[in-house]
Amino acid sequence: MSTKPATKIPNWKKSFGDKLLQILHPDGVISSDDELIVYECDGLTGYRIKPIFVVLPKSAKEVSEIIKLCNQETIPFVPRGAGTGLSGGALPTEEGIVISLARMTRILEIDIPNQRVVVEPGVVNLWVTNSVSSSGYYYAPDPSSQLVCTIGGNVAENSGGVHCLKYGVTTNHVLGLEVVLPNGEIIEVGGKTLDHPGYDLVGLFVGSEGLLGIVTKVALRIIRKPESIKTLFASFDKVEYAGGAVAGITARGVIPAGMEIMDNLSIRAVEKTVHAGYPIDAGAILLVELDGPNAEVEAQTPIVMEVLKENRATEIRIAKDSDERALFWKGRKSAFAAMGRMSPDYYVQDGVIPRTKLPQVLGEIENLSKKYGLRVANVFHAGDGNLHPLVLFDSSKDGEAEKAEELAGEILKACVDVGGSITGEHGVGYDKKRFMHLMFDEQALETMNMIRCAFDPKGLCNPGKVFPTPRSCVEAGRTTYREHPIEKSGLGERF
Amino acid sequence: MADLLKEIINVVGDDNAISQSPELERYAIEGKTPKVVVLPQTIEEISEILKVASSKSLAVIPRGGGTKIGFGREPNRADIVLCMSQLNQVLEHEASDLVAATQCGITLKAFQGVLKEKNQFLAIDPPHFESGATVGGIIATNDSGPRRLRYGTMRELLIGIRVVRSDGAIVKGGAKVVKNVAGYDIPKLYVGSLGTLGIIVEGIFRLYPIPELSQTYIVSFSNLAELQKMVLSILNSSLVPTCLEVLNPTLIDAISDQLRLNLKKEKYALAIRIESVGKAVRDQVSKVKGICGERGGEGILVEGVVEESFWQEIREFPWSMSVSNRVICKAGVLITDVPRVFQALGELSSNSGLGIYSSARAGNGILIISIEGEMSPIIEATKSLRNLVNSLKGNLIIRDAPADLKSQVDVWGEVGESIKVMERLKSHFDPNGILNPGRFVGEI
Repeated sequence: MSTKPATKIPNWKKSFGDKLLQILHPDGVISSDDELIVYECDGLTGYRIKPIFVVLPKSAKEVSEIIKLCNQETIPFVPRGAGTGLSGGALPTEEGIVISLARMTRILEIDIPNQRVVVEPGVVNLWVTNSVSSSGYYYAPDPSSQLVCTIGGNVAENSGGVHCLKYGVTTNHVLGLEVVLPNGEIIEVGGKTLDHPGYDLVGLFVGSEGLLGIVTKVALRIIRKPESIKTLFASFDKVEYAGGAVAGITARGVIPAGMEIMDNLSIRAVEKTVHAGYPIDAGAILLVELDGPNAEVEAQTPIVMEVLKENRATEIRIAKDSDERALFWKGRKSAFAAMGRMSPDYYVQDGVIPRTKLPQVLGEIENLSKKYGLRVANVFHAGDGNLHPLVLFDSSKDGEAEKAEELAGEILKACVDVGGSITGEHGVGYDKKRFMHLMFDEQALETMNMIRCAFDPKGLCNPGKVFPTPRSCVEAGRTTYREHPIEKSGLGERF
Repeated sequence: MADLLKEIINVVGDDNAISQSPELERYAIEGKTPKVVVLPQTIEEISEILKVASSKSLAVIPRGGGTKIGFGREPNRADIVLCMSQLNQVLEHEASDLVAATQCGITLKAFQGVLKEKNQFLAIDPPHFESGATVGGIIATNDSGPRRLRYGTMRELLIGIRVVRSDGAIVKGGAKVVKNVAGYDIPKLYVGSLGTLGIIVEGIFRLYPIPELSQTYIVSFSNLAELQKMVLSILNSSLVPTCLEVLNPTLIDAISDQLRLNLKKEKYALAIRIESVGKAVRDQVSKVKGICGERGGEGILVEGVVEESFWQEIREFPWSMSVSNRVICKAGVLITDVPRVFQALGELSSNSGLGIYSSARAGNGILIISIEGEMSPIIEATKSLRNLVNSLKGNLIIRDAPADLKSQVDVWGEVGESIKVMERLKSHFDPNGILNPGRFVGEI
């Protein structure tokens, strides 16, 4: 398994590695330094920790055995999909292992009449749509990384995408899970059918950022492709006008599949790279995508046009065909990548605000940008209020990275102050745990810890994420210690 | 005990407490009369009550409109009934955000009334609308109606929550935004938790605009297989129905005269509801007619008051039918297995002589079933139905039944290995087991 001389591995590591090899085929255990480097970080590259081993199980049974071994040896473990996450959720733990689900890539069942697909966690998001597309169906959540990101990762992060306003996020499309709990037990929750009795453990697992166990099978809902799709493109002198148009559209009773705004800085960045045909002097552009039955889309189009005009759109285009629609979206979808042309480094934020607060919060972001002397480009899923401000900085300049982080933190505070959230789709992970207290008071954090303790009393499953400060399970739920019936009867003990 | 009750009553004041017979009996749950009923006016009072109850291990039964108080297992104990009816204020309705926040003791009817002023609604249509079902009760029981095909259930609509935990801690989860992944999804944990993890005091909801027009096409079929083909072709088309409901012949017999729809008796009926802007509704309805016509179905088109009363009847089924001996079940199966269950219901009915009524959310695989008759055949029928549904990898729960039946058939059925996790959750959230003890799955 290893190219590294055994003498250099401390004894416990070697012995642990040997035990892993009793569970997995040698090609399923990675231990050489040069290979481990790949797993040091996820999409958030600012933090890196090298794991002691990376394992690549192929079944729930193998995952279970690995986790049981970790429990015996008290080794923390971090689950990992494609590693595209932007919050450091798959950042390894010191002296811990990474469990990669990259080899569990089977689509287990495609059931068109029942509108379900059952997959293993390593299946790439887009494969699901590809597997049912010929039957006229698709899988709705479409994070920008959908070409590479995995369903297991989507479940952990409760991933969104550009069509969440109308179709919801991952949690609205996951119906059942097979999970290996942090103690190694395998359970099934939910299923292909609806309304399972008991607590909504599916709802709890989705978005739990890998802290409650490892998902090994996922039952997904697929939906029928809409009869008609229409994409409108509008430019405005000011980003506030675009924001006003977004609120105006929903106020008129139209719920588009997606609404996206980009400000001038982002427009210029993408025009330099992909030439999507955006007007480079516009203050902002807004994309509105309507979908549904033909007659509905036809009826909504003039309403949207009217709202755009009321909000001083300087130009409105309607995509003539799917090619033009793809061109409209091309700029939006390449916005993050294009920022590399504008600045050596950038820091993406993921705040969420109620739509009506868009003009106010944009104003605050502008002020913060001036205060810190750093440029902020704004790209956002305006329909659901999910902002992705990109703070541009140059890490080679002394202190600028820290300044950028501080500025990003202030943006999140502004989002929470208007009733929003510190993260809409990227997750808290390692990166944003320090902002959790902006949103949640001690009682709420304590409640979340109760949930964690119900699943993972030893704290071995993806530790050091989400919670702002480490919490033990003894203090959970009560101020004074009281023996629990489970303990009294000798069925369990406190850790 | 008297001192303890005094302590509880002092929190809310004598005027907001009931501690004497015969009034107390009105709040009995499954024959268990509470020692006191309290009607707190504030969240802080609820917190105080729970602190006392927790420290003295008094069982608390939360109550909204009392419409679903027969739901779940019989409680092990019932000391305090905590009525939510005084916490009934709408806190905020931001129409442009399609979001509203309310205290959860409000009735759904009152809440919808407020939302309607700005032409919006909470897209859920569970039973007991007129009889006072509260928003909190609907969250706690995860109750829903025919519209779930398009809009989902509380799980999809509830984006923020405030609860009082058993130790009195007041906890917020979620936010005023539809997209939010910060921390665990606390609102979802509380949907369907039957008051066993805390008292649900406030909710934040995503709303929808009231559609411009609604029309329903109702078509009769004598052949279940033909009917199912029809259901599948609609689901597999670009049509976007709000409801897709199948009624069994017994139910048609029972409600047809009253609705004056002249539906064909002894046949199944399929009702397809389309809601959108005017032209889109008419366009889709004509497509629906086309699909039905191809399969030899002939139907009627209803809108306005007639349509509304039809859906009201479905929504309230079977609660609007007053009978002494019956069990009400909800079965969840795959969409393609719905006919199997209907067929079994027909056979059960002809073999046992029981009156079996059923209405199915055909696009969700959910059947509401009411079985009437003598107790012992009802019990046998319920058991055999559960066996069938379980063999189809679905589940069947009992929503309401006489105590006799509940003592012989588990209301919830098997939950599987995940029950251990649920028990651990409960023991962290309610270490003294004071919230609705024994009513939930696995006697949680």
